[in-house]
Amino acid sequence: MRKIEAIIKPFKLDEVKEKLNEIGIKGMTVVEVKGYGRQKGHKEIYRGAEYQVDFIPKIKLEIVVAAEMVEKVIETIANAANSGKIGDGKIFVLPVEQAVRVRTGERGTEAI
Amino acid sequence: MPGVEQIDIIAGADRNVKESISQNLLIKREHLISSFLDKREQAFTDKLSLLIDDYFRESYENSQVGLALGMIKNPYAIVALGGYGRREQCIGSDIDILFLFKDSVPREAEALIQEIVYPLWDAGFDVGHSTRSVKECIRMAGDDIETLMAILDGRFICGMSNLFVQVMEHLRRKVIRSRSGKIISLIVEDINGRHDRFGDASYLLEPNLKEGKGGLRDYHTMLWIARVKSDLRQPRDLEYLGYVSEKEFEALEDSVSYLHAVRNRLHHLAGRKCDQLYMEYQKEIADVITIVKKDGKQPVELFLGELHGHMACIKQQHQVFLSEMGFLKLQKKGRGILGKRSGVSGIIVTKRNMLDFVSLEAVLKNPELMIRIFEESLRLSIPISAPAKRVIKELDYLISGQFRNDPSIVNIFEKILLTVSSDYNVLNEMMNTGFLTQFIPELKGIQNLIQYNSYHIYPVDKHSLKTVETAKKLGMKANGHALFHELYHELEDRRILLWACLLHDIGKSLPSKNHAESGMIQARNILERFAYPKAFVATVSFLVGEHLYLIKTATRRDIQDEETVISVARRISNIDQLKMLYMLTVADAMATGEKAWNDWTASLVRDLFLKVLKILKTGELATPEATEIIARKKNELLSLRGINASGPEFSDSFEVMTPRYLLYVEAKDINAHIGLYSKLGDKPFVLDVEKDESSNTRIVTICAKNRNGLFSMIAGGFTLNSLDILDAQVFTWRNGIAIDVFHVTPPKDKIFEDENWQKTENRLLDILSDKINLAEKLKDRILKGKEEKRHTSKRPLRVNVDNDSSSFYTIIEVFAYDYPGLLFSVTHELFKHGIDIHMAKIATKIDQVVDIFYVRNFSGDKIESREETDRIKSDILNILETK
Repeated sequence: MRKIEAIIKPFKLDEVKEKLNEIGIKGMTVVEVKGYGRQKGHKEIYRGAEYQVDFIPKIKLEIVVAAEMVEKVIETIANAANSGKIGDGKIFVLPVEQAVRVRTGERGTEAI
Repeated sequence: MPGVEQIDIIAGADRNVKESISQNLLIKREHLISSFLDKREQAFTDKLSLLIDDYFRESYENSQVGLALGMIKNPYAIVALGGYGRREQCIGSDIDILFLFKDSVPREAEALIQEIVYPLWDAGFDVGHSTRSVKECIRMAGDDIETLMAILDGRFICGMSNLFVQVMEHLRRKVIRSRSGKIISLIVEDINGRHDRFGDASYLLEPNLKEGKGGLRDYHTMLWIARVKSDLRQPRDLEYLGYVSEKEFEALEDSVSYLHAVRNRLHHLAGRKCDQLYMEYQKEIADVITIVKKDGKQPVELFLGELHGHMACIKQQHQVFLSEMGFLKLQKKGRGILGKRSGVSGIIVTKRNMLDFVSLEAVLKNPELMIRIFEESLRLSIPISAPAKRVIKELDYLISGQFRNDPSIVNIFEKILLTVSSDYNVLNEMMNTGFLTQFIPELKGIQNLIQYNSYHIYPVDKHSLKTVETAKKLGMKANGHALFHELYHELEDRRILLWACLLHDIGKSLPSKNHAESGMIQARNILERFAYPKAFVATVSFLVGEHLYLIKTATRRDIQDEETVISVARRISNIDQLKMLYMLTVADAMATGEKAWNDWTASLVRDLFLKVLKILKTGELATPEATEIIARKKNELLSLRGINASGPEFSDSFEVMTPRYLLYVEAKDINAHIGLYSKLGDKPFVLDVEKDESSNTRIVTICAKNRNGLFSMIAGGFTLNSLDILDAQVFTWRNGIAIDVFHVTPPKDKIFEDENWQKTENRLLDILSDKINLAEKLKDRILKGKEEKRHTSKRPLRVNVDNDSSSFYTIIEVFAYDYPGLLFSVTHELFKHGIDIHMAKIATKIDQVVDIFYVRNFSGDKIESREETDRIKSDILNILETK
């Protein structure tokens, strides 16, 4: 099992969710986050006051899938979240040791 | 006399009898409960209490231990306390009883408890019991207020009645009379603490039925205080003693019994004593209590609305009760009570420092007093008395069409709308007394209307009033909302914003799916009725209609894309409207609940706002003229191309064109460009040459796939072929296609012009295939050209890097003296700095050039670093020097 963490632009969430649904991913966790990378913050000025956005709002998705699904999921997210412009985000894959479904006690891939 | 051991044996032997009594209770209780659940039982709490009374009486009569104790020697009484004492026993409640002994608690008391109480425990009841002598009881009640209150709720069940009477008499005469003030203060202190912990249940989504504001405890404290102050013996005494009117008491009783019904169902569902109405229980309860679906609303939404209405009633009565006692804050920070006077004849300030009408007749004669009292409340910062509120409720029919249309009354309302209330939220009071819903009848539809999701924690009417308050508060104090504060003070007419805040959700009263749209129409009707001028009405209804637009756009569309921002700018179309819409968005979201508004969302919306503002300010792109021009061009194009506007081919082409391109390029040229583009296919570029009849110059249009340095390559290519560039315009479409339009001097050789153009094309192909090193090839030519054009420059050369005018591009302006190859040099320099040219405008006048470049770095960002921009400036200046 692997955990896929993807940082994407907020307005891409609906599209990514839809495309993931199409390949059979029916659940995910979503967090509102902020960050920066090569896409640096920028500032706007209003009446002499600077409004600096150092940390840019993004959405972080977390999905746990069976190892076989990883490539497909990466591809799906990368395509859907791509806008071609800087700040499109990143995808990370981490190993998952165990998963448990609270209601039934199922473990492993059954629990995903 | 039997010893203790013998009593134990006797008690044990009678266990069977006791068990059957408790079994009896269980059975009867089950029957009562199912009768209640079937809605066949009106006085449930009362009857349940009486069932339990029966148990104790029977136990008492059958008690062996009691027999042994003897009525003469050691008389005792069984007294019901707390909720049981008040005959308000709920399904999950504890049974609270007191075994009251005459002189001292005997050793046998333990056995008595076992005999009478244990069977109840065995049967699954929660029993709290105490054993006290009369003296002990009095002492403890005198020491501890909770004990005092519990005993004051006490009710004699069975045994020696005069023991109970003794205690109560003593408490009343000795304890209460001398310390009533202190006791009441302690009760009030407790109330405040409780309210702080549990919140205002009258509009929370998961209210605590007992402890929250508007919950059962508020009712109990009213009884306690009245008991202490005026020896209340039964709830109806609240009316008889003059604390509430008959109508008010009926309403109070109605609400309390509604709450009891809900609470009991909750206990039953949860299987335990649970007073917090969690969401998971709400639907089931609602389906039983409020069966019918009305106006497209779910039973659970109607139920919550009803529940909140009842809790609001209790809360109201409670507050009025307390303030009449003199317990609500009457003045700020202990300043003197005296000295506040009403400035309006017909309205007075009472001794308790509250506002009241002089008489009912005064109001009947002059209905305007009904709104003026709110005005005075605001001005003097003191509350309106209960009698005055009653009058307003009773006379609400006076708030008729004539009343509403009176401009002086509308003025007063505006004042109230505009002023920040410090202690007394006058708008809320207007709502609570029913004044506001008479004044603006459409508000009735959103009164107590619950929005059933975890996002909204207030019902729509409260939320709307909260939005108004939030806007005013943010506007008045900076508080970490500096931008809002700034904008608020720039507003010319705050009424527009505040009316919009008040009415923004009014559309929710209608079953339509789009409440913003339906609200817009309602807002218009309301304001037209109040005879506001057309422009005012139009702006407020615009704000109401668009109040979700900014937040939707900020979270669902790419705000780093200039297109998005421009389309928003066009839709909102003027700066004042934009500012007000932003403020409405912020106030609305903050008044919805924490989930709706946090730093994350706030920064997105603010970012969008500032970008749109800039576009509107520096704007040629989003003015109404611009919109018109582009619409006109679209139509022109349609006729030129002869295609159906709905055809996919056409709309596809239109999709990729940027706003600047559409604005600056003539329709016939756009048409030509589309034609040129259709020939591009896989080729790196296509080129078209046209003769400009008027000036005998040539117009060269190149359509190419954009790449870094494209412009410099083309410019260099022209210079290589000895073509002088007079003017140029460079555009990039959204699909990465560059449209470069050059005005060049005609070739010297007119006869073989076509062949020469073919040569140029071939050259360009080579350049774009990286077969030629332009910089090298042009080096000498440029040097020579510079020497020839050497000038004693009268005007200084200038390079300007502007990062302020646009949120999306860095704008580089170059003012210089022309020389052959200048354009190549400059654009090549930009390329070397990792800069991509999105749009450019090149113009020459005799021997001077003005070049404007809209650029970004290769990663798509503006070039914001000061170091970087300084370096670009100096590097370009170096090239420009002809000396």
